[in-house]
Amino acid sequence: MKLKNNNEKKMCDILEFVFEFKAGKHNCVLKVPLQFPVQQNISDLHGRLMLLHKIPCYIENELKSSLSSFIEKETILDYDREAELALQRLTNGDVDVNQLTNAWSRSYAETTLEHARPEEPSWDEDFADVYHELIHSPASDTLLNLEHNYFVSISELISERDMEIKKLQERQAAEMDKVMHELGNTLSDQDVNAVASQHFDAQQVLENKWASELKQVTCIQKQEYQEWVIKLHQDLQKSNNSSQINEEIKVQSSQLSEAADSGARMFEEQPQLEESFTIHLGAQLKTMHNLRLVRADVLDFCKHRHHGSSGAKLRRLQTALSLYSSSLCGLVLLVDNRVNSYSGIKRDFATVAKECTDFHFHCLEEQLEEVQQVVLYARAQRSSKQKEQPGESGNRKNGDDKSKNIERNPSNILPGEFYISRHSNLSEVHVVFHLCVDDNVRSGNITARDPAIMGLRNILKVCCTHDVTTVTIPLLLVHDMSEEMTIPWCLKRAELVFKCVKGFMMEMASWDGGISRTVQFLVPKSISEEMFYQLSNMLPQIFRVSSTLTLTSKH
Amino acid sequence: MRPLKDAQLGAFTFFASALPHDVCGSNGLPLTPNSIKILGRFQILKTITHPRLCQYVDISRGKHERLIVVTEHYESSLSDFQKQGKTVSPEKVLQVAYEVLEGLEFMNKHGLVHRALNAHNVLMDCKGNVKLAKFGFYHMTDHGADVDFPIGYPSYLAPEVIAQGSFHPTDPSHDEAPPPSGPKADVWSLGVLLFELCAGRRLLHNIEISERLKFILTLGCMDDIVTVLAEEHGCLDTIKELPENVQELLRKCLTFLPSKRPTPAELLGDPVFSGISCQYTPFQKPVSLFSSSLRCAHLELPDDISDLCKDEDEDYLSERAIDEVYHLWCLAGGDLEKELTNKEIIQSKPPICTLSNFVMEDGESFGQGRDRSFLLDDTTVTLSLCQLRNRLKDVAGEAYYPLLEDEQSSLPQSNSSNELSATVTLPLIIRERDTEYQLIRIILFDRLLKGYPYKKNLVWKEARVDIPPLVRGLAWAALLGIEGDIQAKYESIDKDTPIPTDRQIEVDIPRCHQYDELLSSPQGHIKFRRVLKAWVVSHPDLVYWQGLDSLCAPFLYLNFNNEALAYACMSAFIPKYLYNFFLKDNSHVIQEYLTVFSQMIAFHDPELSNHLNEIGFIPDLYAIPWFLTMFTHVFPLHKIFHLWDTLLLGNSSFPFCIGVAILQQLRDRLLANGFNECILLFSDLPEIDIERCVRESINLFCWTPKSATYRQHAQPPKTTADNGFGKTATYYSSDYQDMPKTDLSREPLALCDLKAELSPRISAEDLIDLCELSLSGPTKRSRAGKPKIVAVDIRSVEDYSRGHISGSINVAFNTAFGPDGELVQCPATGVLQNYRGRVIVVISHAMKSAAMFAAHLVKVNFPRVCILDGGINKLKPTGLLTVPSPQI
Repeated sequence: MKLKNNNEKKMCDILEFVFEFKAGKHNCVLKVPLQFPVQQNISDLHGRLMLLHKIPCYIENELKSSLSSFIEKETILDYDREAELALQRLTNGDVDVNQLTNAWSRSYAETTLEHARPEEPSWDEDFADVYHELIHSPASDTLLNLEHNYFVSISELISERDMEIKKLQERQAAEMDKVMHELGNTLSDQDVNAVASQHFDAQQVLENKWASELKQVTCIQKQEYQEWVIKLHQDLQKSNNSSQINEEIKVQSSQLSEAADSGARMFEEQPQLEESFTIHLGAQLKTMHNLRLVRADVLDFCKHRHHGSSGAKLRRLQTALSLYSSSLCGLVLLVDNRVNSYSGIKRDFATVAKECTDFHFHCLEEQLEEVQQVVLYARAQRSSKQKEQPGESGNRKNGDDKSKNIERNPSNILPGEFYISRHSNLSEVHVVFHLCVDDNVRSGNITARDPAIMGLRNILKVCCTHDVTTVTIPLLLVHDMSEEMTIPWCLKRAELVFKCVKGFMMEMASWDGGISRTVQFLVPKSISEEMFYQLSNMLPQIFRVSSTLTLTSKH
Repeated sequence: MRPLKDAQLGAFTFFASALPHDVCGSNGLPLTPNSIKILGRFQILKTITHPRLCQYVDISRGKHERLIVVTEHYESSLSDFQKQGKTVSPEKVLQVAYEVLEGLEFMNKHGLVHRALNAHNVLMDCKGNVKLAKFGFYHMTDHGADVDFPIGYPSYLAPEVIAQGSFHPTDPSHDEAPPPSGPKADVWSLGVLLFELCAGRRLLHNIEISERLKFILTLGCMDDIVTVLAEEHGCLDTIKELPENVQELLRKCLTFLPSKRPTPAELLGDPVFSGISCQYTPFQKPVSLFSSSLRCAHLELPDDISDLCKDEDEDYLSERAIDEVYHLWCLAGGDLEKELTNKEIIQSKPPICTLSNFVMEDGESFGQGRDRSFLLDDTTVTLSLCQLRNRLKDVAGEAYYPLLEDEQSSLPQSNSSNELSATVTLPLIIRERDTEYQLIRIILFDRLLKGYPYKKNLVWKEARVDIPPLVRGLAWAALLGIEGDIQAKYESIDKDTPIPTDRQIEVDIPRCHQYDELLSSPQGHIKFRRVLKAWVVSHPDLVYWQGLDSLCAPFLYLNFNNEALAYACMSAFIPKYLYNFFLKDNSHVIQEYLTVFSQMIAFHDPELSNHLNEIGFIPDLYAIPWFLTMFTHVFPLHKIFHLWDTLLLGNSSFPFCIGVAILQQLRDRLLANGFNECILLFSDLPEIDIERCVRESINLFCWTPKSATYRQHAQPPKTTADNGFGKTATYYSSDYQDMPKTDLSREPLALCDLKAELSPRISAEDLIDLCELSLSGPTKRSRAGKPKIVAVDIRSVEDYSRGHISGSINVAFNTAFGPDGELVQCPATGVLQNYRGRVIVVISHAMKSAAMFAAHLVKVNFPRVCILDGGINKLKPTGLLTVPSPQI
């Protein structure tokens, strides 16, 4: 009665369990090699031994107790051996005591509240708490009106600026005309150039003057606003008799709204095409999400509007209410590889962001500066890590390509990477994901492995970890249409993005436990109505649209 | 679980460490989040019950890998002594030491090591007895591998634990986790703790952590550690004055080398405790419901029964088990996160403030410091039971002790019974959320199940009302009739030896109900594998078909800590509902099943049946996974539970009705669509209202004559009638196959013949029963429970007048239908129209003509058409045929 042959090599952690028992007149010995530490269940092992070796049942209990005491004993010995080995290493000097204890103390300091350094109070967070409380109180209306008043004064300034710049430009154009007229007669090319550069300088001076003025006003506004908010909060807390304060608020608010009305200009609302869907994802357990297909300009979600226009104030209130909540709204903006706001959509976005003072976060420029620092830091981290583990990367060629790109300018970002800015002053958006894409997205043949798509996945992941419950994604991965974007191109691209986003959303269910979200797919304003409806027909074929609830009076 | 008694409920929280970005498991699937791993490993702790250990009750996952653990809790702990700054009497020290060791020894027996022993985690109940808290922390975090913080407290760490190093994920110098600590590490911690009690001050309190640890490590060179420590803390005199046995105990605990240090078990038997060990009786584990030994063997009633009710205490709630109280606490509006937030243990920052600045392509983010709110604060917060007690204050004391002897009374009669009987009529979802109702139901089921199998009949009866979610696992086991020593049986099955099916099981498990936290945890996978293998190994005549995994899921989920019970339930369920479905060649079984199913569709919904047949959308295309997995493949677990609560009460033909009920919910869409759309619709089944589905399938079942679902490949009748505590055989629960077979029963039919018939056949027996034709006068059963029926004799008028069953109407086949299959207008068919909606039994000489007649009726959308098996000839020997008196 022996278990096979002990043909396995005698490793130190395989021990033999020996059990002797009597069966009738025979003395039997059971030998079982056991691997330590024992992973399997002892009862199972025992059951298997009984079965395999046809051990008579009258020694069942005896076998069990001797098996478990054997394993218990050996396991303790095992622990002792390991433990003393570690102590020995220390006494031998194989391990540095200081390094060891420092590692311990660091891990305590970094992970436990008891041993962590006390936190320095953060003004930002205090302000966040105060604001969150106020905006959910009767004072919210006042806050909004105040914000709006500030907005109006900024937009007045801006229109003044635009006017002045326009005037200057007109004057310069006239002057230039005159100069051009004289060209070849009294004036040479050099003179023209001189005038041109003079004009340019003048323009620069004017723009700078306005920029600094705007900045100053913004600063003052922000400070005033924050002080006012804190004071209001203190007053509210001090007085238990809040009715008086309420009166105060009301009076103020009515004054303010009057002022707001006077400055109201009517905005032409562009006809937005929009279609909503409720979908279910998942095989057995289904999670419900909302999808929306919208034809609009990407900046429409950002532009602050005057309270006069329909629903603008409500939208503002909604955005303000959820600013410090756990249901944020995000927007994906497609940008190039430079972190600034000098050109294209980046500049347009910056202009919109400046139209109203951000009372909570740093202004866009400062945020971008911070991002630039972080990008440099991240690159440095990466390269030091890569030096540590050379020859590990399997996709060497790809990596080379990338690293060359980075070497040229480490502050540039790569397709698929994105930076995040936060805003309190945009109409429907709190968080903007600036996703870097290259010209590749204009071509027709991108795949699900394209960096831009992977970037979308990471964006959705951040949405999960940071409670961004509404996110707007440019469906075609472009903000403007151009010649090469034909109907088949659009359909192909839309299908790809729909399908990928569906996959990511299903993945998300495992990250966050299936919280219901809203995903808005944005298509450029310039696509035709027909195209829009083609896309909206495509959506329910890819996502499972939940059945409409039919209320019948059956029976 | 133990009753709550004077304990409190407590909760503490921590974060599991986040996974690295975009790393896949070895099987190519995404990695399991650490919080789920912890959640899975936690489950076994719920079964660790010992008077010296704080019972673990529940764990729940919050956002962002947060975990909240609910345990038994007490407000006072050993740290109270420390706060007072006084020394503790030697007797108390010995008592504490002994009781802690008792707890440790029990843990070690179950393979657990504490590792986090300190003054805060040694709690004291009202009588001053020790209760160890957080004893499962080290186990559930996989020896600390799944969390960022170290397990244990700096002053209490054993030297070998320090030497093995801390594991910090961001620390590049340590690639692998340190080896797990053994039971002796706890003995050192206990030594430190006892020393602190004796000395009346905290060990190395004001020294920086790394210095503290260095000091502990240097103790290795000392001869007498206790003396060195005492000198260091300036309390040498106090220590020297201690009784010899206490000093000896300290020396034994604070032995530097692990090999010389005793284990808790050894220390427990040490002579230092000779004075007090006699006061303690070893803990006896209570006998479980399913075991070979007699549960009442050790029951001793006091001579005077009234002694039992001496407790004047009115607090009945605290006599309930801890998990019950917690369950009710949740129902009464308890919210763990809110409780912890109120005590400022959970402090979360607004998410917009914690956004990072920059994210690389591989998902790594930069520009955000470590959020302080993610740091560990393992303070246990007491959960107030006020709200629950308030909610239950009107529940009378009698409600806690319902009398079960009287089989007539359904719910316990009490003041609130009116209210309760009103609650019974509410939808199930609401009942499951009603605190008082659940309290009453849980108590009732708890008591009934304690009396199982003796109280089996009552369990059946009450299960028909509903099954409280908390006891569902055991209630189902009772409904399935599980008995005997299931644990021993399960253990004797070889679940380790590799078998060819392993590979398939391995592929299927990570795809089975993985949205569920328990089933997707590694522990869940291990248990899945073992139960499935045990079933495959123990059923050599059957094989593993894909779908068995889904079938296993509900049982495993409900009996996560009792694999043997999950296995036993599954083994009892399959022969009852899926007899021979798991044969290697199961085509004849499945084909017959599906054919009967399509007959059932035609029987209940001819219009739908006509449409589906027209477009060729046959059950083979969609219904195999439904029936093979008893709908577990198509529904999420919470729906399966409600469905099976009813399914388990029905017989093996009940699933047909569920299938028809599902089709009826999708009826409009099916009728409006062609083949392709139907296939698409079923490839991803839309949401089904399960309560409606259950209601409708019961209704359908009541309309179905029993023999209509006869299958020759169904489970053969049980040979032995061991109805010791047999359930009452009702019309709904007993199987047709279980009835004694007579001449009037249905006879097996070849599959091709069965397929040729659109409508089901019923037996003569059923016809006699339903038409109440029995010779021996009316049957006992009341009319109400039976479907309305009409017999249609399609023989010629002459044959009819020669003899027919009373009450039947005569519609001669050749006169009834026109050339296009439409019903001809004539008096006979007019009568037939009037009976539309009743069960129509077509009776004829030849089965063929009956089948054709029935098919015609279905074609013109007559519901509930069936055929008499064997035709009129079957009835001739019964003498039930009557000849009408000739009309004059």
